[in-house]
Amino acid sequence: MSAYLQTVGITKYYGGVCALKGANFDLRAGEVHALVGENGAGKSTLARILAGSTRADGGTISLRGEPVEIATPLDGQRLGIGIIYQELDLFPNLTVGENIVIGNLHFAEGRTVNFRRMEEFCRPFLDQVGLACGIRQTVATLSIGQMQLLAIARALSMDARIILMDEPTSSLFEDAAERLFGLIASLKHRGVSIVYVSHKMDEIFRVCDRATVLRDGETVGTVELAGAGVNDLIRMMVGRELQFAARAARRPAGETILAAENLTTSKIKNVSFELRRGEVLGIAGLVGSGRSELGAALFGIDRIESGTLRMQGGSIAPRSPRDAMTSGIGLLPEDRRLQGLMMRMSVLENATLAVLTEISGLGFIHRGQEFSVVAPVARRLELNCPSTSAPVSQLSGGNQQKVLLARWLLLNPSVLFLDDPTRGIDIGAKHDIYRLIDQLASDGKAIILVSSELPELLRCCDRILVLNEGRVTAHYDAGDATQEKIMSAATNAEVRT
Amino acid sequence: MQSARGGAGLLRRAQSLAALLGILILAIVISPTASDGSRIFLQAGNLTDILRQVSLIGIISLSMTFVILTGGIDLSVGSILALATALVAMFLTRGYTTHIAVAILAAVAAAALAGALNGAVVAFTGIQPFIVTLASMIGVRGLAKWLTNNQNIDIGFGKDLASEFAAIFREKAIVIGAYALVAAMFWVVLARTVFGRHVRAVGDNEKAAEYAGLPIRATKIWVYTLSGLFTGFAGVLYAAENHQGNPNAGVAYELDAIAAVVIGGTRLSGGKGSISGTIIGTLIIGVLTNMLRLNNVDSNVEMMIKAVIIVLAVAVQRERNGT
Repeated sequence: MSAYLQTVGITKYYGGVCALKGANFDLRAGEVHALVGENGAGKSTLARILAGSTRADGGTISLRGEPVEIATPLDGQRLGIGIIYQELDLFPNLTVGENIVIGNLHFAEGRTVNFRRMEEFCRPFLDQVGLACGIRQTVATLSIGQMQLLAIARALSMDARIILMDEPTSSLFEDAAERLFGLIASLKHRGVSIVYVSHKMDEIFRVCDRATVLRDGETVGTVELAGAGVNDLIRMMVGRELQFAARAARRPAGETILAAENLTTSKIKNVSFELRRGEVLGIAGLVGSGRSELGAALFGIDRIESGTLRMQGGSIAPRSPRDAMTSGIGLLPEDRRLQGLMMRMSVLENATLAVLTEISGLGFIHRGQEFSVVAPVARRLELNCPSTSAPVSQLSGGNQQKVLLARWLLLNPSVLFLDDPTRGIDIGAKHDIYRLIDQLASDGKAIILVSSELPELLRCCDRILVLNEGRVTAHYDAGDATQEKIMSAATNAEVRT
Repeated sequence: MQSARGGAGLLRRAQSLAALLGILILAIVISPTASDGSRIFLQAGNLTDILRQVSLIGIISLSMTFVILTGGIDLSVGSILALATALVAMFLTRGYTTHIAVAILAAVAAAALAGALNGAVVAFTGIQPFIVTLASMIGVRGLAKWLTNNQNIDIGFGKDLASEFAAIFREKAIVIGAYALVAAMFWVVLARTVFGRHVRAVGDNEKAAEYAGLPIRATKIWVYTLSGLFTGFAGVLYAAENHQGNPNAGVAYELDAIAAVVIGGTRLSGGKGSISGTIIGTLIIGVLTNMLRLNNVDSNVEMMIKAVIIVLAVAVQRERNGT
């Protein structure tokens, strides 16, 4: 069967970071085609390029053998390509009908709103997806599952022959997901092609015909799913080289410092683990698996609904980050710009923010002392900045992360939760952070390390906990863990040990 | 590249100072001359008049700078000022006390309480500061009018306690001195104290402030409390200067104070700003007003010119890289 939509050598850079380098992909008419890969492999970027919401820097796209240019979402619509974003780009305060007709080339809007005409236009598509609601209903009153159906109805109303779905089941409950799979089958039956971006293996094997695997922005290959197994796909996804020197031999871990038992919040379920002094515990899992939410529970951000948390034997229930810090828990957040740094403040001011009371008297900051406490930490981290009074916004990503690490080194908590500390930073800074983790562990600190990069976890950790949909699905000693085992536990919902 | 961008901040601050100098020079050049040929603008009496005229808005705009640095706004200052004028005049003229200090303390304390209430509602409910202080702008004005039956409470020129109070606190030296003292205090607090650092951190990135364990609620309650407190103090000075407690005083003062703050280069969304900028902003408005009045410019035209100055000042200082 010949390709309906084909891409050759698509490249995309974000700043200096390469998101896609030579992505090849072909889609047949009337097939459901999975796009899979690890976090950051480039799946969503490729989907956005096909829909025209992101522009590629190089490569060609052809539709029915003709080269096409998809520069804007409107171009995508003209070519019959629709996209359902993970976060559903609907207007929550507008009505169902308005959401369908807005920007729709197939509905000529008059100067005034004509609800009868809108109803006539929208109803067939709402029926097709099985969404029984009035067109005057406000979108915010719909459930997530209904919103998803609405987004699909909108794509259909734009006469989409290709629908791209980015993680469509990530926020759906079981029954809503079932309804979605039924709809996908009937769309396929009518000759609509679907690109299904997901990392849930069971779903992929259930609804898709073929799968294309991306790794680090490149196409690894395309397989017919009928003749393949989960392990084949996982091998293609992870095959990244271990590019780091193995960690120095590990000293025996000390006594237990933090113990969680059946920890449950609105986002994680029955998570139990023990953490010893001098130990690095890795947390593996896809985005949304509950790995950051585990940190939110320990750091007093999400309310603990049930389960116990013991710190050095004493029961704790942190109700705020301040509480957690008093108990000796620190957290380096996942998003350093949104949750970590004050971008308009200086390196010095950012570093000392959590220890101001220790370097002040009667409320006045001792400036000399402030400088002298930061200087050795900056040296230890090999922080590279023009001066410590420069705003952090002038630093590179790696150095910004080091400033944030300096804040925690100054506070010196016994347990430090590092949420993806090497995300989006250069290789040199990554190595510095690995070395720091080793040092902290040798000094008797207990580290919890969340990471999207499996080689990184294998490099740094003594034990690795795998989370999936808020639950622990596997628990390995570093010696027993492999990338394949971890990815398998992270993508499959059933519990395995 | 990096030092060039670091220099941009200095340049922006220099720009507001340059704007002040520019207006000063213009004021000198176009100043009408007295019979002896000297320029009226430059007479000591005129220059101190300018300082005295800007002192009340100046004090309010200092504490307003802290509120705006946290990403908030305080629209209730005009009403709080009116409440303070009314209370100090009531205490002095109705024999509630025999000590001037007690009357002043009562007025300032009530104003600080109103501010603390603003702060508590902002900190604990998460309602936008604009709405919270809009409500208290209405409510506190109502309180001031209700307490006074919407009557001015006159302070005389005799030998009684109230007259004595007015005689002291309408002295140019006292008023200007008070402004200078409060300005120095705010400057030090912002630059040197833990509280000042917290104020900037909360306004720069509230989420990150939470993750750093900063006392966000306490910081917010304090900035609104200080705003009420110093506005109350400005109200005391107002009562002395005008020889009355006036429940209708201070209308639109919040806008003048906000204008001084933004002309001084403080971001309305918080996190970036300075006390020196606010002082310069206050002086720019004061000199401009004085210059136009000396040259008999119609007061309606004066407002139009001020409007242009506000937009120009902010446009020049706007950050180009969007951070």
